[in-house]
Amino acid sequence: MRLLLPISASVLFCLSAVSVAEAEDEDAPAPANVEIHEVVDRYVDEQLKAAAITPALQADDANLLRRTMLDLVGRAPTSAEATAFMASDETGKREFTVDRLIASSSFARHQANELNTMLMQGGSGDLLKYLGPATAENRPWNKMFRDLLAADPESGADQFLKSRVKDLDRLANDTSVIFFGVNVSCAQCHDHPLVTEWTQSHFFGMKSFFSRTFENGDFLGERDYGLVKFQTTEGEEQVAPLMFLTGTVLEEPESSEPTDEQKKEEKKQLEELKKNKQPPPAPSFSRREQLASVALEEDENIYFSRSIVNRIWYRLFGRGLVAPVDQMHPENPASHPELLAWLARDLVEHDYDLQRLIRGLVLSNAYSRSSRWDGDDSPSPELFAVAMVRPLTPAQYATSLRIASMNPSWFPEELTGEEFEKRIEQVENSARGFARMIEQPSEDFQVSVTEALLFNNNQRITSEFLRDAGDSLVGKLKTIEDPKQVVDIAVRNVFARPASDDEARVLVEYLSQYKENRLIAAQQLVWALMTTNEVRFNY
Amino acid sequence: MTRRNSSGGLSDQAISRRSFLGSTLATTAVLTAADMTVLDALQSPAMAEELKRKDKRVIVFWLAGGASQLETWDPKPGRPTGGPYRAIQTNVPGIQISELMPKMSQRLQHTSIIRSLNTKIGDHGGGATLMHLGRRDESALKLPDLGAMIAREMGQIDSAVPDYVAFYTATEGRGGGTGQSGFLGARYAPMFLTTESKPADLSLPPGIGEIDHQTRADLRQLLSNRFSEGRKSSSLGSHNEAYARVRGLMSSEQLFDISGEPQSIRDQYGPTLFGEQTLVARRLIEAGTPFVKVSRAWWDSHGQNFETHLELVTELDHVMSGLLDDLEQRGLLDNTLVITMSEFGRTPNINASLGRDHFASAWSVSLTGCGIKGGSVYGKSDEDGQTVADGEIGAAQVFATIFHALGIDHEKEYYVGVRPVPLTDPGTEPLKEVIA
Amino acid sequence: MNALDPNKLKVVKEVGRPGVLLAVAQQPASSRLFFGASDFKVHDFDVMAEKPEPVEYAGHESYVTGVVLAGKYMISGGYDGRLIWWDTETKQQVRSILAHSRWIRDLAATPNGKHVVSVADDMVCRIWDVASGKLVRDLLGHDSRTPNHFPSMLYACAISPDGRYIATGDRVGKNIVWDLANGRRLATLETPIMYTWDPKARIHSIGGVRSLAFSSDSSLLAVGGMGQVGNIDHLGGLARVEVFNWQKAERTHEFAGDEYNGLVERLAFAPKDQWLLAAGGDNAGFIKFFDLSASKLIKQDKAPMHVHDFVLNENGGTIYAAGHGKAVVWSLDAA
Repeated sequence: MRLLLPISASVLFCLSAVSVAEAEDEDAPAPANVEIHEVVDRYVDEQLKAAAITPALQADDANLLRRTMLDLVGRAPTSAEATAFMASDETGKREFTVDRLIASSSFARHQANELNTMLMQGGSGDLLKYLGPATAENRPWNKMFRDLLAADPESGADQFLKSRVKDLDRLANDTSVIFFGVNVSCAQCHDHPLVTEWTQSHFFGMKSFFSRTFENGDFLGERDYGLVKFQTTEGEEQVAPLMFLTGTVLEEPESSEPTDEQKKEEKKQLEELKKNKQPPPAPSFSRREQLASVALEEDENIYFSRSIVNRIWYRLFGRGLVAPVDQMHPENPASHPELLAWLARDLVEHDYDLQRLIRGLVLSNAYSRSSRWDGDDSPSPELFAVAMVRPLTPAQYATSLRIASMNPSWFPEELTGEEFEKRIEQVENSARGFARMIEQPSEDFQVSVTEALLFNNNQRITSEFLRDAGDSLVGKLKTIEDPKQVVDIAVRNVFARPASDDEARVLVEYLSQYKENRLIAAQQLVWALMTTNEVRFNY
Repeated sequence: MTRRNSSGGLSDQAISRRSFLGSTLATTAVLTAADMTVLDALQSPAMAEELKRKDKRVIVFWLAGGASQLETWDPKPGRPTGGPYRAIQTNVPGIQISELMPKMSQRLQHTSIIRSLNTKIGDHGGGATLMHLGRRDESALKLPDLGAMIAREMGQIDSAVPDYVAFYTATEGRGGGTGQSGFLGARYAPMFLTTESKPADLSLPPGIGEIDHQTRADLRQLLSNRFSEGRKSSSLGSHNEAYARVRGLMSSEQLFDISGEPQSIRDQYGPTLFGEQTLVARRLIEAGTPFVKVSRAWWDSHGQNFETHLELVTELDHVMSGLLDDLEQRGLLDNTLVITMSEFGRTPNINASLGRDHFASAWSVSLTGCGIKGGSVYGKSDEDGQTVADGEIGAAQVFATIFHALGIDHEKEYYVGVRPVPLTDPGTEPLKEVIA
Repeated sequence: MNALDPNKLKVVKEVGRPGVLLAVAQQPASSRLFFGASDFKVHDFDVMAEKPEPVEYAGHESYVTGVVLAGKYMISGGYDGRLIWWDTETKQQVRSILAHSRWIRDLAATPNGKHVVSVADDMVCRIWDVASGKLVRDLLGHDSRTPNHFPSMLYACAISPDGRYIATGDRVGKNIVWDLANGRRLATLETPIMYTWDPKARIHSIGGVRSLAFSSDSSLLAVGGMGQVGNIDHLGGLARVEVFNWQKAERTHEFAGDEYNGLVERLAFAPKDQWLLAAGGDNAGFIKFFDLSASKLIKQDKAPMHVHDFVLNENGGTIYAAGHGKAVVWSLDAA
């Protein structure tokens, strides 16, 4: 079925670029049977050493637990969870905790949310119906990719295509950006100005895989005919080859344009199917299926495997090994090329198991460094010498605030297992409304003044987080006479760590102004804690 | 500042105790204030040019849906495409505009009309994006719009007034008129007003007094500054900056309230919502807001073009001339650039519903005031308005001209990672003939 | 007598013209027609001629939106605010007066040809003496602004067959019946559904009363326009007709429309009130026949274009229509 055709000089360039990349693979010295986190630390440390930089210390227990939980289950720890983790002197408690979190249903839900954000890119609709079961069974990433391109409406996987089918240029580019880390949109009008390897053929080649896809009522269909034509910068008209990003051109059966009569007939048939709410017939040759196959083939899957590794890395470290994540090309090499190659190869060898990858990364020392840098100049970010401070997603922030605002007795230490998970899920659900008021962070995210005004003045802040009720933190604090105890409980609940001595002193002094009214005192304190940057960021 | 104390919050009597935070700061070595900003060049010693441009302002009339150039700035009287309206002589010899703008015709000495836009995009979404960004959208890189770039270039980091305000009351086409700050970040996103004439969350929430509101914010800042120590991140910095601007913005709430304006001024802007919002825009720029967009939707006159324009151009003529008079009387016109633009113009051909359809091949925008050579016309459409006959330009040149008129270098580059992104696309030149 | 049957409606002639034909008048007992047009001219030709040879009358400076025959004159009115008297024999301009400060929207002449009335966007209805060209009277009663502060428009006028009454109708759906002799206001009829104000999505308006017609005994007044519109970017409302016994200020009929969208641009009663005829359009056109005694639609059909105006011949069996890009003749008794 497939054939490599050297159709143009530019494609030849491209092939050579890929072979260079493959050469790195062969040189990759790390053996396959080492743990992921050891490999991560080996390569990261190597560069730190070369740069003569001593990385930041490891984060303390409370910090590490909060970071790990935000990344794995999408929320900060409860006061009891933090206390228990800090108190434990069990060896391997970190690994044990990571495994426990990954096994929980919150992990699958958080993965689904994160993948949904990545795949939908803020577009309309969502993929949660599909991603829920997929993340719960840890479906391999390559399988998910196939599902999304196959676009089965029953499973909800069709939303990826459906939300973009009206704009095929966008569909082609989004697919390329999301799954392959390659942004070819510049090549739409001209060959890419920075990357000689990306030509118009790359963009229109990608588009060719989708050009026969169309929407018919509630269903997607794919035709057996149709070619993509484009104008070169010289004004010449060309038919786009069915070409993957690596330059591989696929062979396909001859197709001819139908006659007007046939088109009319087709239209009639489609109208009928639309009316009867039935899907259009499957094509005898599916270009989308070809894309799914070629992208995953052994010699072609470099983009696919590296892109997801890079995106997961970005999620957990705040910066990709290749940054930005949609600029994976030879002119923009990875900070740690061997590490990226190794991780990608490991992922392929382990059946695209994302859980395994995530687990490996969060167990590394590179992941668990402190985010504080007390020296003069902070080291270059691509060295990963110090943890980055990352803004929370709307779901992380809203759920964490919710937990912080609740009476700690709502999550007692002895509550575990299903009962605990159930309660957490309730909290996640109740946080959804508020999450919609928070902006989804992008790279170099800036907090808006709208958000600051919201937290300062919106009635909802009071009603959601500062309520005087039996199940709320404020309600609990109000009943306590000793200001030291008030501060202790409040800080643990909101920051998931104990207060330092000087913090406690300042806060107790602050509370002394409100002796006459413990409710107001509690509301003032909780508001000030909840709106700090410490709560807003994953640090 | 006088607040009750019935629910136990701080009263006036407690004010003296507010010094507590200050004293704590002084005596608790570990809690010294961290630096507040890592972000903005405006904090660095300002060059003279930067100082100069700081008091410049922009008001954009966003005529959403596509206003007709033929019924505004580029009439074709007597031509088959001209429609029924006549052209009238303006106070600038040789320049005629549609008879629907009698008031503007007598104030054209401040305005430059550009009649030669060919922007090529004829759908609302694409056209609106183009005319907001000054270039085509990219799917992977979120670009900032005109307002965000101007807020970034001219706003002050700790400004007590918002630096980008956008009104869009009609629901049709609102998505295309929202505005976006793209890679510049939410710091430069517009304060976006729809049905409310005042922004949300500018006043104290019920149940809390002025002093309590302030002291909890002080405490928040104290804790946050402490957390910022040793942590460098522009996102983190932006969080503190956003909160630091809250008090100032709250004090700007009265800017959105026009009830105190004298009736003569109210009449000058007229009784319509568009007029009232334009008056708010004037109050904002007077107080220091560098960029306000007042959207007037919806001009999409596929049917009854002439009736629709009779309504909407008549209103625009009144509101715009009222604004220009007011700015002039206040001595603000030399520092304020007033722009009219849309996503595109309308077809010279008149359809069977006596409507005009989408048309991007030869249409007009206007620039008035700050830095503009008034009483001039740039470019020309052919006698029926079907094509550009002279001086064809796209959105980029309009943007470069706007930047230039405001004293901003249109070739200045932002960096997104390693990628330089200039304010306008490379090779774009401002229209020298339009600039004073 | 049943020779005339709306169900036999048939287009017997189409004559293409550049631009838009906005108004039409008929030389009695002939197929010689005078059309007001968007090229600022009046076009005079025999529509049934094998090769019509139009004579063009130039004098207006904007769209010509009203044409009537009165006495020995043809009088045209336009968006330039002018009324122009023409001699149809010599085809020369006899008199030109600036009649209104804004667009003239419609004209009507009394059956005896002594008076002509004009309505314009200055919201005044004016009665003119045809012979002298003198203004007889101003009729003031339509507001110049809509309730939402926008300029209003006075679109339509009609004179009763007995020559005693004038009806006028405006943008917001207000209709007034006047006594021609003394200018007294006799009735006010509201048709608010014909005006769509969109306060939310687009914040402007569309619609208005576009046509008026008296029944043969002058007792009924038919009002034409368009129903409420969802998307006011288009003429998207159903073609609408309401009929009033105006002396009792009572609405007798409401035809809210079904198949066709757009404005009812002209209304006319058949000579013996056998039916009420309406035509107009959106991007396309329509023609409708209503039986008032049975309160029902007898017949409706697609027109070859958006119809801006039409005139019925003496027996009511021929319809001469002006519209977008063409003139059309319908017949009800064609072989």
